[in-house]
Amino acid sequence: MEYIQKIDDMGGIIPTIEKGFIVREISDAAYRYQREIEEKKRIIVGVNEFVMEEEPVKIELFRVDPEVEKKQIERVNDIRKTRNNKKVKELLEELRRAAEKNENVMPYVLKAVKAYATLGEIIGTLKEVYGEYKPETII
Amino acid sequence: MSEGRKIRVLIAKPGLNSHDRGAKVVARALRDAGMEVIYTGLRQTPEQIVETAIQEDVDVIGISLLSGAHMAHIPRIMQLLKEKGLTDVLVIAGGTIPEEDIPKLKEIGVKEVFPSGTPLEKIVKFVLENAPKREK
Repeated sequence: MEYIQKIDDMGGIIPTIEKGFIVREISDAAYRYQREIEEKKRIIVGVNEFVMEEEPVKIELFRVDPEVEKKQIERVNDIRKTRNNKKVKELLEELRRAAEKNENVMPYVLKAVKAYATLGEIIGTLKEVYGEYKPETII
Repeated sequence: MSEGRKIRVLIAKPGLNSHDRGAKVVARALRDAGMEVIYTGLRQTPEQIVETAIQEDVDVIGISLLSGAHMAHIPRIMQLLKEKGLTDVLVIAGGTIPEEDIPKLKEIGVKEVFPSGTPLEKIVKFVLENAPKREK
């Protein structure tokens, strides 16, 4: 509750995010937590107390075949050639207008998806209107 | 290091993954150890990272990755560093990096890899001992 009060005092969640307060609080907590573990002020069994001596079990890792990337690129290129590009353009334009008017964009997103607009195209359109959140890089 | 300038470190977060808790914790630890630490922020391309390294004139680059894309981004960063003549910069990496990839990374010039769970002290010590010494 103390936190909620603090956030309210700063003008609500949006100003708090914009001022970098949230990001800073999280990174403060992360650093504190890590130090507590290392200084054994916080005990986690298996991490800093009763740690296993023997080598952990070898786990076989799943690796994605690079072929998959190639195939996926091909698929996207294919769809861009075979879909109705005029329609996609129109629908993205409608999406942009909806975003500009601050309407619910979901129906427009769905229409664009059904016409095979790519995720990149849809997000790209929205980004042009809304911009992009850049978290503070203060450490 | 009392006479030289402070060690300058760039903590870099390449690629699409946005989990930078570990990167920031390491950044803080290095700063608390008396270094000047710059953090690139999220979703950087190898080009942006190398550019920042040049602009900020850093001695050390710490690359943080846990998306599994380390074998895509780190070789590219190493190649760019070489192209730009930043060969004396100490490069280290950390995050979720499988043990079997560590030798491959070291082969291309990464000096040390610190997987998740590495004590901060160990990273700090390594950087203090291995950062290139410079005048001024």
